[in-house]
Amino acid sequence: MPTKDPVKIEGKNTWEEGRSKSVTFIVTEDCQLRCKYCYLVGKNKSGRLEFDIAKRAIDYLLREREFITENSVVLDFIGGEPFIEVDLIDRVCDYFKARAFEENHPWFNSYRFSFSTNGLLYHDDRVQRYISKNKSHLSIQITIDGTRAKHDLQRVYPNGQGSYDDVVRNIPRWLEQFPDSSTKVTISSGDIPFIRESVLHLWKLGIKEVNINVVFENVWKPGDDERFEEQLVSLADEIIKKKLYESYSCSFFSKSLGQPYRDNMNWCGAGKMLAVDHLGNFYPCIRFVGFSLQNRAALMLGNCFDGIDRNRLRSFLTLDMASQSPAECLDCDVATGCAWCQGANYDSADTETIFQRTTYLCKMHKARVRANNYFWNKLSRKLHQDLRAQS
Amino acid sequence: MLKYLLVVLSESSAPFCYYEKKPRKNPKRDLLPLKSLKEAVIFALKNNLKVNFLYPDHKLDKAYNALIDEADHVKIVPFGLRKTYPDSILVIESDGFPAAGELRGLRDENIIFRLRKDDLGKLSSRLNLLLMKCKRINLVLMDIEAYGAEDFEQYRRQLETVSDKILKLSAKKDPPELSVLTDRLALDRMNNCSAGLKHLTVAPDGKLYLCPAFYYGRAGDTLGGIRNDTPIKNRQLLELKYSPICRICDAYHCRRCVFLNKKLTLEVNTPSSQQCRISHIEREASRLHLQKLKETGGNPVALADIPEIAYGDPFEIVETKKLSIADFKKL
Repeated sequence: MPTKDPVKIEGKNTWEEGRSKSVTFIVTEDCQLRCKYCYLVGKNKSGRLEFDIAKRAIDYLLREREFITENSVVLDFIGGEPFIEVDLIDRVCDYFKARAFEENHPWFNSYRFSFSTNGLLYHDDRVQRYISKNKSHLSIQITIDGTRAKHDLQRVYPNGQGSYDDVVRNIPRWLEQFPDSSTKVTISSGDIPFIRESVLHLWKLGIKEVNINVVFENVWKPGDDERFEEQLVSLADEIIKKKLYESYSCSFFSKSLGQPYRDNMNWCGAGKMLAVDHLGNFYPCIRFVGFSLQNRAALMLGNCFDGIDRNRLRSFLTLDMASQSPAECLDCDVATGCAWCQGANYDSADTETIFQRTTYLCKMHKARVRANNYFWNKLSRKLHQDLRAQS
Repeated sequence: MLKYLLVVLSESSAPFCYYEKKPRKNPKRDLLPLKSLKEAVIFALKNNLKVNFLYPDHKLDKAYNALIDEADHVKIVPFGLRKTYPDSILVIESDGFPAAGELRGLRDENIIFRLRKDDLGKLSSRLNLLLMKCKRINLVLMDIEAYGAEDFEQYRRQLETVSDKILKLSAKKDPPELSVLTDRLALDRMNNCSAGLKHLTVAPDGKLYLCPAFYYGRAGDTLGGIRNDTPIKNRQLLELKYSPICRICDAYHCRRCVFLNKKLTLEVNTPSSQQCRISHIEREASRLHLQKLKETGGNPVALADIPEIAYGDPFEIVETKKLSIADFKKL
């Protein structure tokens, strides 16, 4: 009889991962916060999705069965802060359900509504009513960045005040309603000293799954990689010492990390997913919308009136690892798991292209790989020793 | 490696490819300045480049002719100036197709024939006339972004008719060539336009561009002034290796027009569906043409067969033909 793997550190897959169509509705370009690391550089109050536009987009998506073939869908509501527009979202969700039912569309039996929220409005009655109404089809991720010091370093109101207290008060209710939820932590240069304590803190709050990533932009300073590695090694020691790997996960650690490339798949899913803005324009993902880009114009795939321009999709659907990577990446011995964002690549490429991969994260990735190796080697030895001691 | 230089002598120079020229202003003012022409010629001489001069629709004065004569070159000339500039490649537009009498004087010319979509139904009849008079015809299908299923089918039927005409003419010692039908017969690898790789363009503003279309069609896409070490950012994306669709394709005669790619797919290395479908209609027409040639004992018996394929756009098979990293490195 196979023994159950006691190591939970790698987390679990999300609902219908890789099999569902992900459609992001950008319901507002506004947010209560002005997080310093946020890639949405052009927040504003005017970019608000109208219900009629959302309806048209849903009609289009349901109509294009031959083109959009996935049998499941995740409607992802994003902002800015999506819950600012919870009443609109409620109407959009109702409309989706009704239309999918009328059309006898497979999505009616296989859909999720997904949210990434700053959590500030989670306690709001309107949000709670919406949750009650749709609970079995909801996935909500509240972003809390770790300790108060780490969170308030980045996640601030326009006046500079930190938002930690206003978020953390909503965490217990959130976890009560969605016990298996995860949070998303973002690391920029200034956050590095807080990584270890922040991950441990989030676990202590009861958030068992911490998805943590470094930003894709070129923000790194000399020595950041070494400081990053120290933090991860220190976190690894703590995880092993206290057997936290049995109950918690942290995306910094993964067995699949740090191998030479074997396949030639693109890392990013841009183009396989779809984002819709308030004008009804379609994008490969939110990172190609105007308010996400610093250097380039928005890259649209079409709109809910005329549909998707399939010629524009061709590059996204054929983009592979090799065609966009410098030779040093293809020859890298620890390449797997090295991440990039197609939108960030597009924004900083030398020409208007998605075929030029940035390498800003090279040193950070290598530091992560070393810490990851340290973690797995040390854990493996410990588990082996424990097993021997037991027998 | 650069092999030749295109020099667009005027805003009103005959477009010889997929782009449209700008509305003509004052022809004299539209000319490439003499100083720039001199720079272009010297650049060509220093870099062992042949020059293709794209002529305007009016005669040039002596100073221009003298400079042009300093370099090995080919003249690409509007049909209307064929007598002024004999031994040139002539550009014929389908919407200004010459009367039969005007074609009478042609003898083994090399022609660029630009066909508007509206004239697609006249393709075979026009080509039949030209094939009688010309050594080679480069066919340029305009407006391909507007091509739909019916147009593709019409194009297929038109090529079938033209193939029969060429087969009849094949009894001659040197049968005429039609780029979209006969080029593929002799190719065993990609032979594309290669803008930016094999040639660059000097536009009427005296600056370098990937090709004339990037001057006429996309403002701001200049590579800068004429200089020896012209930087082309992301130059690798012009290479076959960096095109996931084209590198698995065997429509070897396809132009792989980087301008149309950029215009329709937003990427220079990604062909549009229309580009691929048209090239595969031509590939299939070439395949059938070759079969018939072999059956009738024509010249190209020794040529390799073109395999029959089940797709009309290599985009359909990209997933199944994806290269491994190791295979990519070997390219």
